[in-house]
Amino acid sequence: MRMGLHPEMPAIGALMLGFLAVGLFSPDEATLYLAALIMIWSIFALGFDLSFGLTGMLSFGHAAFFGIGAYAASWAMMSGKSSFAAALAISAGAGGGAALLFGLVSRRVSGLYFSLLTLMLSELIAIVITTRLRGLSGGVDGLAGVPRPQLADIDFINTANFYWMIFAGFGITLLFCGVLKHSPLGQALQAVRQNPVRAEQIGFDIAALRLTALGLSGGISGVAGAFLASLMMYVSPQLLSWKVSGDVVIMTLLGGSGTVAGPVIGVMLVELLREGLSALTPYWYGVLGVIFILCTIFLPQGIAGLGARLWRRR
Amino acid sequence: MSTIIIGLSIAMLLFLLSAGLTLIFGMLGIINFAHGALYMLGAYLAYQLSASTGSFWVALCVAPLLLAVTGALIERSMLRPIYDRPHEFQLLATFGLILVLEEFVRIMWGLQLRSIAPPPSLSGSVNFFDTDISKYRLFVVLFGAAMVGLLFFGIERTSLGLILRASSNNAIMAEMLGVKVSAVRTGIFALGAALAGIGGAVAGPMLPIQLQMGSTIILDCFIVVIIGGLGNIRGAVAGALLIGMTRAYGQQYAAEWIDIATYTVLVATLLLRPQGLFGVRLRTA
Amino acid sequence: MRTRSISVAFLTLAIGVALMSAAPAQTADKFRIAGIIPLSGAWGIIGENMRRGATIAIEERGGQVLGKPVEVIWEDTETSTQVAVQKATRALSQGVHTVFGEVSSGSTLAIMKLTDQRKVPQIVTLSADDRITGADNSRYTFRTSNTVSMENAMIGEFAKRRAVKKVYGIIADYQVGRDMWAALRADLASKGIDVAGEEFAPIGSKDYSIMLDKAVKSGADGLALIVVGGDVVTSLKQGGEINLPQKMTVVGTMLMDETLGQAVGPAGALGVNSTLRYHFTEDTPRNKKFVAAYQAKYKEPPSQYAGEAYDGLSWWLDTVESTQSWDKEKWVDAFRNSVRQDSVEGVKRMRACDNQAEQIGLFGTAEAGGGEGLAVVMKVAETFPAQTLFKPCT
Repeated sequence: MRMGLHPEMPAIGALMLGFLAVGLFSPDEATLYLAALIMIWSIFALGFDLSFGLTGMLSFGHAAFFGIGAYAASWAMMSGKSSFAAALAISAGAGGGAALLFGLVSRRVSGLYFSLLTLMLSELIAIVITTRLRGLSGGVDGLAGVPRPQLADIDFINTANFYWMIFAGFGITLLFCGVLKHSPLGQALQAVRQNPVRAEQIGFDIAALRLTALGLSGGISGVAGAFLASLMMYVSPQLLSWKVSGDVVIMTLLGGSGTVAGPVIGVMLVELLREGLSALTPYWYGVLGVIFILCTIFLPQGIAGLGARLWRRR
Repeated sequence: MSTIIIGLSIAMLLFLLSAGLTLIFGMLGIINFAHGALYMLGAYLAYQLSASTGSFWVALCVAPLLLAVTGALIERSMLRPIYDRPHEFQLLATFGLILVLEEFVRIMWGLQLRSIAPPPSLSGSVNFFDTDISKYRLFVVLFGAAMVGLLFFGIERTSLGLILRASSNNAIMAEMLGVKVSAVRTGIFALGAALAGIGGAVAGPMLPIQLQMGSTIILDCFIVVIIGGLGNIRGAVAGALLIGMTRAYGQQYAAEWIDIATYTVLVATLLLRPQGLFGVRLRTA
Repeated sequence: MRTRSISVAFLTLAIGVALMSAAPAQTADKFRIAGIIPLSGAWGIIGENMRRGATIAIEERGGQVLGKPVEVIWEDTETSTQVAVQKATRALSQGVHTVFGEVSSGSTLAIMKLTDQRKVPQIVTLSADDRITGADNSRYTFRTSNTVSMENAMIGEFAKRRAVKKVYGIIADYQVGRDMWAALRADLASKGIDVAGEEFAPIGSKDYSIMLDKAVKSGADGLALIVVGGDVVTSLKQGGEINLPQKMTVVGTMLMDETLGQAVGPAGALGVNSTLRYHFTEDTPRNKKFVAAYQAKYKEPPSQYAGEAYDGLSWWLDTVESTQSWDKEKWVDAFRNSVRQDSVEGVKRMRACDNQAEQIGLFGTAEAGGGEGLAVVMKVAETFPAQTLFKPCT
């Protein structure tokens, strides 16, 4: 393991430092809430990038894992009265399980058809949860009153306190992804992405590796969902929508896929753009669209790539 | 009886949109997530035209032309640089396009729900076998059938269609034979956009014209295109008919299960025959 | 690698600093209202109307409450409860004196949990779900507009008055819709009206023709159409194609008003009957003044949403003013027992037992427009007194 961690440590350290500073010096709750939201979506994006940037599987259906994790945690806490820690474990299991299911169903499909299949599977799940399981999911209206964690006597309803729990989750995810990327498993996954034929010839079991990557990816996405449900104290089938799947793809792309810092930067960029632009102009929606288009044309490696290119040019 | 007509009218609307989507994918290799937004733009433009000129027919003729121009502009400015980029970038770019188009529509027409009245010759209903069938729906069915015929004829029988097919089959060869492939590409996207515009104009008297109309229909279009086969017009017809009739008969007998049934059929298709009913197996990895 | 990570570090810290400095300074010398409503998306047009009504309410008092200027922070929830929760949390963290919103019952219920925790009064002028002043009620949330039970009672009563014998139901497939239909069925049964059939349509259905056809063929003479948003336009337009309002007595809640009439068109709208939260023709002094002010500013008569927003907010602000105090608890106590003698709809009585305002109910029928430049106008066909619509507090 020692061999793997070092290249990512500076990036991870920088990010942790940044969010630590926000947590300690933030002037008000609104900033903390936004930073917490960014960390949660970063966990989601990091999870997504395990299957996309690392293993090369473009899924348009990751919202399914995110949303299922959110609902699993909510049900566990609300009707099962379980602790937050147990709910996190359950959400990881639910998200990972759903991802494995997707992976098994899509074993024989790849490329574009894989992406489309994941999109359709996730829509199917969203519809089932919204209409058939209305009693459990609250239907279109969702479920309000998802609790915050209960631990010792700390009031987690105060965002300032919950922030640190999210921060811990964020840090653990960063470390996990960093370690994974440079571990033997991570190397194998990258091989699968870069040249599946060759990888198979070397003796890797491509199907099993892809399934593993999807499972891990789904589990982490599920955990992100659990955090979000608890932060908003609300969960709804909106979390399963294709727009959420699209959002996470966009954020990861903009930040730079295949890196540990990339997805986080992408999330920060999009969330801050949304906040900042809406303060600057009533047309922020359209301006955001233009930014996406420009980034596609001019920034194929995302912001992280841009940073590297700029630095190199010096 | 009315169920059949209604199913066919849904099918025709879906076909108009899916034809454009499948052409764009088949011949340009681009998944146009913004196709629904183009349809929305078509509907709003048709609304404006029919409100200003008082004539639905003017709207039906002019809106597609405006969309064709818009499509050409989009293709030259935005799509040209990204043709060989991987699919995730197409998602990013077309999502961005959706935002831009929706903002434009919102600036021009606000949040108010809009509506187009069907022309006087097509309002009201006729009585067939003891059921009232809307005249406008009949028109949609006939008009849609005419468009199907026109498209087939255009692509399979004319020299323009030949150029289209040649450029998509083997662009380099076509280029060497003197075809301006880049112009053909612009033309194809413009055609797809125009079809979306026709869809929007046709939908105007049947459905509410609102900002979200694009997002609600785009998934249906994807379903049709996948079932039919990406890039295949025959497939788009078959897929549209399948989905249209499923929805119509589904509403007749089990309204709550339509969506689930549709998506399950779709997933099954992707697993058993991913190239669709009529498609050719593409190298997609 | 190291160079990239240093740039990442800089970026993060820069963004963090930007975040921190973007937070506005707290002002303790204004009366701050957070207007948390959709201003875009499916309900955007409704939220926009509410904003207008609220604006008139504030302008009417010279933009002042308790001697200080009123500051409204409008937050667009984009017709998404997620965004609503996020923006509500942000607004609450900035310190506001009142929260106004939302539109969808799901969003209102979610926000109520937040305002209740922070003990900030919330004024609801639209969401109808019974739980808001029922099972999930909060000491700090007040509703000045109609409830689902009220609307149901009106529909049943209207059906009886119009001698409808059999009703067919087409219902939007969501919680409020299903709850409404279940309650309505029971009510109709108690009035001796049969239910000929029912159909649950997914929200956003693009085709109602078949369901409407089934309704017509079922032999029912009344149609309860409980759908929302764009589906109202879709279903009624398609109903218009087959002359539905002439074949059946079409009733619903929030099914028709001037705005929807314009979008549906006369063929589908004329003859449709609907509950009305408010109508600009109501003959009270306050309403006349309000309509005049609204017409002058916005060049059109106020819609139901604007009217209810104006009414609820002006009642609340008057009550706050009457306490001559900045103590929120005093406002809440004063409001719980207040009676609005001169609301735009006559007398409204706030009930301390559940924070719901008792009020009259209006039922309207769509007619061809006259001189106001509107294609379709509502005529108030029935007015139901408050006693028939509310069960007394236990």
